[in-house]
Amino acid sequence: MRDRSLWIGFLVALGLGLSIALTQQQEVDPYKEAERQRELFRQTAGILPGELYAAQGEELFAQKRGPKNASLEACDFGLGPGKLEGALTQLPRYFADTRRVEDLETRIVSCMVNLQGFRPQDIKREDVKALTAFVASKSTEMPINVVPRSSQEIAMYNLGRELWYHRAGDRDMNCAICHDSYAGGKVRLSPVRSPRQGLSNEWPAYRFEADKLYTLEDRIAFCYESVGIHPPEYYSEPMIALSIYMLAEATKGKNKFTELPGFTR
Amino acid sequence: MKTRYFVGLMAMLLVGLTLSQQSPFQQRVQQAINSGGNKFAETMKQDRDQALCSQYRDKLPPEEVGAFLERQRALIKYPADGKLMGDWKQGEALFTNPRKGNCYACHTGDPKEAGAGRMGPGLVGYGQRGTSEPVVKYTYDKIYNAWASMPCSLMYRAGYHGILTPEETAHVTAFLLDPASPVNAKR
Ligand code: HEC
Ligand code: HEC
Repeated sequence: MRDRSLWIGFLVALGLGLSIALTQQQEVDPYKEAERQRELFRQTAGILPGELYAAQGEELFAQKRGPKNASLEACDFGLGPGKLEGALTQLPRYFADTRRVEDLETRIVSCMVNLQGFRPQDIKREDVKALTAFVASKSTEMPINVVPRSSQEIAMYNLGRELWYHRAGDRDMNCAICHDSYAGGKVRLSPVRSPRQGLSNEWPAYRFEADKLYTLEDRIAFCYESVGIHPPEYYSEPMIALSIYMLAEATKGKNKFTELPGFTR
Repeated sequence: MKTRYFVGLMAMLLVGLTLSQQSPFQQRVQQAINSGGNKFAETMKQDRDQALCSQYRDKLPPEEVGAFLERQRALIKYPADGKLMGDWKQGEALFTNPRKGNCYACHTGDPKEAGAGRMGPGLVGYGQRGTSEPVVKYTYDKIYNAWASMPCSLMYRAGYHGILTPEETAHVTAFLLDPASPVNAKR
C-alpha cells in the first residue's frame, strides 16, 4: 500500500512537469498529445497512472475492511456476486436490493455500505475512485451495452435526456449545445463528441492536464463547472441519469470502451 | 379497491395542481434536480424562456417565436448616455476575458488570437458592414441579448445575465465595429 502511494506521488510530480511543458505549446493536436504523454509515462515510469489507481483499487477490493470486516468480493455489479468481467459495460442498471438505478460508482458505495458496513459519510471519495478504476479495468475495450429495459431504467434514461437539454445558468447552457449541435467541432482546442459518437467511453481516465483520475461523474461535474453551474453531488440522481442517457446513446452508436482506465487530456 | 385507488389518484393530482402547474414528469425532473443538492438546484433554476427552449429542444415552434422575441427584446438595457459604441480597446479585453465575454470560445475576432472556437460565425472583418445606426444597434442588441433576434441561440445572453453591463456591451460593440480595431485591420 505505502509503496503504491509513493509511486502515485512520484507520478503526480512527473505529470505536473509534463502538463506544464504542454501549456507552453500552442495548437497541438490533443489526441496526438495524449498519445505522446502516454508513451512518456510508459518509458519513464514503466506503468500508467491509471494502472496504478486500478492496482490500488484491487487491493481495496480484496481487503477485509469496515465495521463488518468484509471484502467486496461478494459485490454484485449486475452479473452475479464477484463477477467483474464486462461489469461496467452494462452499467448503470437497476438493482433490486437497493431498489435504485446505480452507476458503477454508486454501486461500489452501496456495497461498501451493505457488505462492509461503512456509513455513507465515512466513505472516502479516493477509495471509490480507485475501486472504480479497478472494476472498470475489467471492461477494457469491450462494447458498451447499456439498454434501458426495466421501467426504472427507462425512467432514469428519460430524466437524463431531460437534464441533457436543460438550459440554465448565466451562460444559458445545456449539454446538447456543445455535444450535439457542435459535435465534431471544437471548443477552443478541444474536439467535442456526441453521445452517439461514443462520448463517455473513456472513463474512468487519468487526465494528464489535471494530473488526476477522473471518473465519469467527475467528468460530468467538470462540464457543469465550466458553464458556471454548481455540479450535482456524487452518486445523486442527476449524475446517474446523465450517465445512463449518454451510455445508452453510445450503445446505439455501437461504441466500445477505450482502454480502461483511459488516458486523456 | 378500485375507487379508493381512483380517489387517491385524484387527490394526488389536485395536490399537484395546486402546488404548481408542472406536469408529473416535470415534477419528477425537479425532484431529481433537488436530489443533486441545494447549490445544484439553485443554479439549475430556469427563467420562463430557458424552460421553453429546453422543452422544445432549442427549436421553437413558429407560433411561439413572436412572443418569445418580444419578451427578450424587452430585456435589453442601454447605456445612460445612449452611446452604443464605446472604446474598442476596453472591448478587446472584455471580448477575450474568459470570465467576461469569453467570445473567443465560439468566435474568431482578432485573427492573431490562436485557438479560437468556431461554434459561432467568424467575426474577422465584421466592421465591413459599416457603423450606421441599424448596424450598431443590431450588434449591441446581439451581444446584450442574443435571444432577442435568435430564439434559443446557443450564444448566451451576456447583458441580460449581467456578465456585461450596458457600458461594457458598448465597448465590445466597438471592438467589432470600430475601423481601428484589430478585428478590422486591413490585410
Ligand atoms: C461549453 C461547451 C460544453 C458544454 C455546455 C458541455 N460540455 Fe461536455 N465537454 C466539452 C468539451 C470541450 C469537452 C472536452 C473534449 C476533450 O477533451 O476532448 C467535454 C467533455 C465531456 C465528456 C468527456 C469526453 C469524452 O470524450 O468522453 C463528457 C462525458 C461530457 N463532456 C459530458 C457533458 C455533459 C453531461 C454536459 C451537460 C451537463 C456537458 N458535457 C456540457 C464541452 C461542453
Ligand atoms: C457558445 C458560443 C458563443 C459564444 C460564447 C458567443 N457567441 Fe456570438 N454567436 C454564436 C452563434 C451560434 C451565433 C449565430 C446565431 C445567433 O445569431 O445567435 C452568434 C452570433 C453572433 C453575432 C452576429 C454575427 C452576424 O454575422 O450577424 C455577433 C456580433 C456575436 N455573436 C458576437 C459575440 C460576442 C461579442 C460574444 C462575447 C460576448 C459572443 N458572440 C459569444 C455563438 C456564440
